[in-house]
Amino acid sequence: MASPVMHARGPRKPARYFSVLPRSPAFWFLIPAIAALAIIGIYPLLLALYNSFHQYKLADLASGTPFVGVDNYIATLTDPTFWEALGRTALFLCVTLPIEVALGLFAALLLHRTELPWMRAAARVSLVIPMATTYAVVGLIGRLIFNRQFGVANYLTGLIGIPPQDWLADPTLAFVSVMIMDIWQWTPFCALILLAGLSMVPKEAEEAARLETPKWSMILWHLQRPYLLPGLTAILILRSADMLKMFDAVFTMTRGGPGAATEFISVYIQRVGFRLFDQGMASAQAIILLILTIVLSRLYIRFVYREAA
Amino acid sequence: MKKRFIPAMQAGPIKHAAAVALLTASAAFATSNAQAWTLKEAAQPYSGTTIKAIFLDRPGYKAAQQLIPQFEKETGIKVRWEVIPYENTREKEVLNFVGGGDQDIVLVDVVWIGEFASNKWLVPIKKFTDDPKLADPNLNLKGFFPILLDSFGSWDKVTYGLPFDNYSGLMFYNKCMLKDAGFDEPPKTWDDLLNTYAPKLTKGDKFAFALQSRRGETQSADSFMRVLWPNGGSLLDAKFKSNLMSPQSQAGLEYRQKLMKYMPPGIVDFDHAEAVNALAQGQVAMITEWSAFYPTLTDPSKSKIGNCLAITTEPKGPAGLKPALGGFSLAVNAKSNAKKQAASWLFIQWITSEAMAKPYLEAGGVPARMAIYEDKAVQDKYPFVKPMVESWQGGVPDYRPRFPEWPAISEVIGEWGSKMMLGQVTVKEGAQTIGQKTEDILKKAGYYDGKKPLLK
Repeated sequence: MASPVMHARGPRKPARYFSVLPRSPAFWFLIPAIAALAIIGIYPLLLALYNSFHQYKLADLASGTPFVGVDNYIATLTDPTFWEALGRTALFLCVTLPIEVALGLFAALLLHRTELPWMRAAARVSLVIPMATTYAVVGLIGRLIFNRQFGVANYLTGLIGIPPQDWLADPTLAFVSVMIMDIWQWTPFCALILLAGLSMVPKEAEEAARLETPKWSMILWHLQRPYLLPGLTAILILRSADMLKMFDAVFTMTRGGPGAATEFISVYIQRVGFRLFDQGMASAQAIILLILTIVLSRLYIRFVYREAA
Repeated sequence: MKKRFIPAMQAGPIKHAAAVALLTASAAFATSNAQAWTLKEAAQPYSGTTIKAIFLDRPGYKAAQQLIPQFEKETGIKVRWEVIPYENTREKEVLNFVGGGDQDIVLVDVVWIGEFASNKWLVPIKKFTDDPKLADPNLNLKGFFPILLDSFGSWDKVTYGLPFDNYSGLMFYNKCMLKDAGFDEPPKTWDDLLNTYAPKLTKGDKFAFALQSRRGETQSADSFMRVLWPNGGSLLDAKFKSNLMSPQSQAGLEYRQKLMKYMPPGIVDFDHAEAVNALAQGQVAMITEWSAFYPTLTDPSKSKIGNCLAITTEPKGPAGLKPALGGFSLAVNAKSNAKKQAASWLFIQWITSEAMAKPYLEAGGVPARMAIYEDKAVQDKYPFVKPMVESWQGGVPDYRPRFPEWPAISEVIGEWGSKMMLGQVTVKEGAQTIGQKTEDILKKAGYYDGKKPLLK
């Protein structure tokens, strides 16, 4: 049997031991997510940051990995190919994203109508299919759709009398082809997010507005817009980040060509990192891209989301 | 050796007899040694070992896959492979080397040997050929086509790999289309092809020729380099400076622009599959492609060309027959453990052996052994053999430079070569840019200040 002294000391030990850790359940629930984020997100990011200040050529490790300061950043910022690829990506973003949002809004407004509920349900399910398709497969589907001889694109344009086009071999058309595939895949995402926004509008308010005016544009602008803006901000942030790191579909569809017509920034970074194996330079480029993404996101939040508040 | 024997043989009948006896004795020793060595016994210590390889989705690898069970049965060594696209192979292998992956058998493209060997990622075969327990006495390295063993498997006079998947550029053509246009034989020169054959064979949606030119190694190796060599041009001169502005190189690149008129639209997006398919479906009359595509073109489920298919060497240029050269060797990963290295060597030695050359050929592969192609029955059965052997005998060993900087240069050519074809830049501007960027890469690597020997 334990002595009274020992009994008195016994329960204190674990209490002291655990007292350094917070008792809040929120802490314990967050720990796994934080750990996963640290391993999957933070550690590679820190490693990329470290690499970006070093010479780190995978195929020439014999020459060592010396600290090179900001040399990789200077080399990146003075590399015309980097700027060309960045410009191409910006053009892609500026043209494709508004189209996706506009088409997504159009689809969301159609699905928001109350007629034929079963059609709405079927349409919602079918909207998920392009999003669920792997990027690389989207690129391969693109190669088939835009094949000059057998592709459905030339078949459809042929119906209205347009002669067959070299979709993937003409620099402008190749750019357009990649745009079309991205719009095909990601317009449904915009539609679903915006539809969620529309469903937040109180029914009474919407009915009252419809009694006030038959113009859908008035209802959209004055009533529905505030409910759409948070979703729109999310779309802008997520799609911008996605487009800046778009790689798989482009690589399988055009491999960045013809020439450099579809060499977007991520395709270029992959080329530097995994064809030239210059991990230091590729890391510097990736860090610059990350900064750009953060700046863009802050701008969206500042100018779009704040308007909703 | 020869210098020592000749005076001995001239010294008189006694010495002559002694030399003959010595030769006979050594031959007898070699034969008895050959009889003593068996794959089964050599593999006994490694039975149960699993070795891993990277394969491509090409006929030579499918052939190996058919034969591997035979090796596994005889040795107890398990061979596992992963099939990946060519474009990702180098990336995967380099990451394997630096990240400590589990690949034991290294697939080495002709243009990777310099990079892999310089980084000491491959084991020189001497380690195995010097070990009587592992070296098959019938290995006979001299039985390989010299150009293939030197180009695919050797770097700086050291051999690292044995040629496994071997190609030569050949001309595949549709003899029926040529006959309909009034030609009984294929063009003998590139000049004939452009000026005599191409105009007559291009009508409506039918085209004379397709030159696969998609951005990547296809543009640099199959398209760009293909027009340089036959015209007497080259990428680099003897001092590793750009030779693209030479009249011969310019003539080659201008020739390609002229020939584009007779190629299907969108040729800059044609990869191997598209070019082969264009011939298979009767869209084009002629292509210059790797010999390895013969099984694809003769497969009725993939090709409509049937008996109209004919094969010859690539046309000659002013500099003669300078066909494309490409292929892969198999080597042993220096990072694998000793047991796996030995097991891998036994597999490589076996699959590239003279004994396996015929089964490999019959399964769809193209062996690098000279002896197999001397067989008349083989020549008759495989019409690509004769032109391929002729091409290997007259080929350019450094058709593409094999130094570690080639992948970076290939990227430059991939981009600017395509731009040149599209007319986004002139031939001169494109050649100047490629030359400048190539020299920048080579300068950074240390070729111009003597830090690196001029090896390619």
